[in-house]
Amino acid sequence: MSYAPKSPFPGAPTQMPKGTLDPRFYLAAIVASSDDPIISKDLNGIITSWNEAAERTFGYTTDEILGEPILRLIPPELHPEEAQILTKLRAGERIDRYETIRMKKNGERFPVSVTIFPVKDDTGRVVGASKIARDISDRDKTDESRFRLAAVVESADDAIISKDLNGIVRSWNDGARRMFGYAAEEMIGQPILRIIPLELHYEEAAILARLREGERVDHFETRRTRKDGSTIELSVTISPIRDGSGRVIGASKIARDISDRRRIERLLIQSEKIAATGRMAAAVAHEINNPLEAVMNLIFLARQNSPPTGKAYQHLKMAEEELERVSHIARQTLGYYRDAGLPTEVFLHELIENVLTIYRSKLLAYGISVDTQFNDLQKVMVSRGEFIQIFSNLIANALDAMPNGGVLQVSIRTLISSAGDGIQVVIRDTGTGIRSDHLGRIFEPFFTTKGDLGTGIGLWVTKQLVEKRGGQISVASNTEPGKSGTVVSLFVPFSAPALKETA
Amino acid sequence: MLQGQVDSVHFSDSVGRNSIGSLSLTSSSKVPKERRPRVLVVDDERLIADSMAEILEGAGFQAATAYDGWSALQVAGILQPDYLLSDVLMPRMNGVDLAIAIQKMYPAARILLFSGQAGITEILRAAQNQGFQFDLIAKPIHPLSVIARLKEL
Repeated sequence: MSYAPKSPFPGAPTQMPKGTLDPRFYLAAIVASSDDPIISKDLNGIITSWNEAAERTFGYTTDEILGEPILRLIPPELHPEEAQILTKLRAGERIDRYETIRMKKNGERFPVSVTIFPVKDDTGRVVGASKIARDISDRDKTDESRFRLAAVVESADDAIISKDLNGIVRSWNDGARRMFGYAAEEMIGQPILRIIPLELHYEEAAILARLREGERVDHFETRRTRKDGSTIELSVTISPIRDGSGRVIGASKIARDISDRRRIERLLIQSEKIAATGRMAAAVAHEINNPLEAVMNLIFLARQNSPPTGKAYQHLKMAEEELERVSHIARQTLGYYRDAGLPTEVFLHELIENVLTIYRSKLLAYGISVDTQFNDLQKVMVSRGEFIQIFSNLIANALDAMPNGGVLQVSIRTLISSAGDGIQVVIRDTGTGIRSDHLGRIFEPFFTTKGDLGTGIGLWVTKQLVEKRGGQISVASNTEPGKSGTVVSLFVPFSAPALKETA
Repeated sequence: MLQGQVDSVHFSDSVGRNSIGSLSLTSSSKVPKERRPRVLVVDDERLIADSMAEILEGAGFQAATAYDGWSALQVAGILQPDYLLSDVLMPRMNGVDLAIAIQKMYPAARILLFSGQAGITEILRAAQNQGFQFDLIAKPIHPLSVIARLKEL
C-alpha cells in the first residue's frame, strides 16, 4: 500500500493510479497545512473532518472529535448561534468572517472569525459545510490596545501631535485643539510652522534634523502661537516615529502648557526682590533711623538753647530742615513696611476721601476740580497706612502736574477678571503729562521730574507697596498740548498674597 | 511717699554698674497748682531717650527716662505716668509688652510707640490679639511732631 496523506475528506480517494494528479490531493495538502483550523460538518452539525490547525487550536485530536457535534466547540450560551448558521447553510448561503467566541477542549474561550461555506453534492444539494475558523485573539489584543491608546491620546490634557519628516501635521488631539485653538481639520495636512512664532522657525529645522538622526527631544521649553495670535509657553517632548523596519518616518510631539508655571516663577522672582529690598531696608533701618532721631533731637535742643537772634540759631534751623528731608526719605524707604499698621478690611474710597481731605486746600489753591466715581462695593484687606501713602503719593503727583488748574478724576470699581477679582482704582489728571522717555523710568528710585522739589521716592515706594500687597500699578501719559494728562491705574486683588514678614 | 521728699532719683541696675534711668521731681514747695503731665520716655538708645525727655521737659511735661522695658516698669511704679512714649524693640522687655503692662497698671495712661525698625508687625499683632491697640509712629520724626501726637492722644 502506497503512502497517502490522511484525508480530511472521508470518501475522497486514497489511492490514485500512478502518475495521475488528482486536484483533490492538492486540496487535501492545503487543508492539512493551513494555519487556520478548517473543519467540515454535516447539516446535523456533526463534525466530519478536522485538520492539524484545528487540533492545535481547539486541542482535540481528529480521532476524538470526528463524529462529534460541532456544539462541543461552541460555548453553551452561544448554542443558539448554531441553529441560525445551519438554517442559513441549508438555504445555500455562506457566512463571511463572522466574529464570535469558540471554546477549546480545556474550556478556554477565544475570539474567532469564521467563514462557513455550504458543501454541495453533484446535484447542488447542500449536504454539509466547511468552516474556516481564524483565532483572532492576537488581533483583538492589538486592536484593543490601539483603541485604548487612541482614547488616552484624545482625552489627554497635553497637546499630542504627530507630524511627518517634512513638518506636516498628521494627527492633532483634542488637547492640541484646546491649547492652540485650531481644530484637527484645520491643522492636519498643514505645516507645523503655523504654530511656531516666526522668530523661532529655525527651531523646527533643528528639531527635524535631530529626529532624522533618531534622537528625541526632551522637555524643550519654548513658545508657540495660538490661533488668536497670543503666545503660549510650552514644554515639548518630541520622539521619532519609526515604521516596521525601524526607519524614522515622523515624530510625535507632546506639549504641555507651562504659562502658569512661568508666571508663578516670575512672581516668585518679583516677590523675592521685594523681600530682598525689605531685608536690606530692615538691616540698615535701625542704624540710620535711630541716629537720625537722636541728631534731630539734639539739633532741636541746641537751637532752643541758642538766642533766636544769633547766627547759630539760623544755622541750626537750616540743619534741622535738611535733616527733615533726609528723615522723610528714611521714613519712606526704610520704614515703609512697618509703621503702617496691620491690614484691616477697608473701603478704598474711604482712604481716597481721607487723602483728598488732606489736599483740599491745595486743590482749591490750584483751581483743580475733583470728579469721583466710587463703585467699590466690597472692602479689601489692606494696610490703611500703606494705602494712604500710596494714594497720597499718586494724588500729590497729579496735583503737582496741574499747578494751573485742571480736573482730577478718581474712579474706583470692582473688577472681575481672569487674573483674579479685585478693586481697580484709576487716578486721572489733565496735567502736563510725563515725557515718553521718562515714562519707563518713573518707578526707579531717586528718579524725579520735579527738580529740587522731588525726592524720586514716591512712585518707587508706591510700586513696592502695591506689589507687596499682590497688586499691580501702571501709568499712561500724554504730553500733547490740549490732550495732555496722566492716568495711573491700580489693581488690588481681593486675595492678599501669602508673603511673610520681610524682616 | 516719694513725691516732695526727693529732688532727683537715679536708677541703677542691681549691681549698680549701669544707669537704667532717671527721674527728677520738683520739691513740694515748687509744685505749681496745675500739675504738669508726667511722661515716661523709654528707649535703649540713651541719647534719644535723654534728648527727648529734655525736649518734653521744655514743652511743659515732667519727664522721666528708662533704657529698657524692665527698668521702665520700675520707674513707672514711682512716676505714675500720664503718658508713655516708648521704643518698640528693646532688650529684656519690648515696648509693646511694656505698654500692655503700663496700660493695666494705669488704665488712664496715654501711650505712643515709636520705632525705627522693621519686624514689629508680629509683636503688634500679638498685642491686638490680647485686645490692645497702640498708636505707632516711625522714627526719625521731628520732636515737635512727637509732642503734637502726644497731645492728640
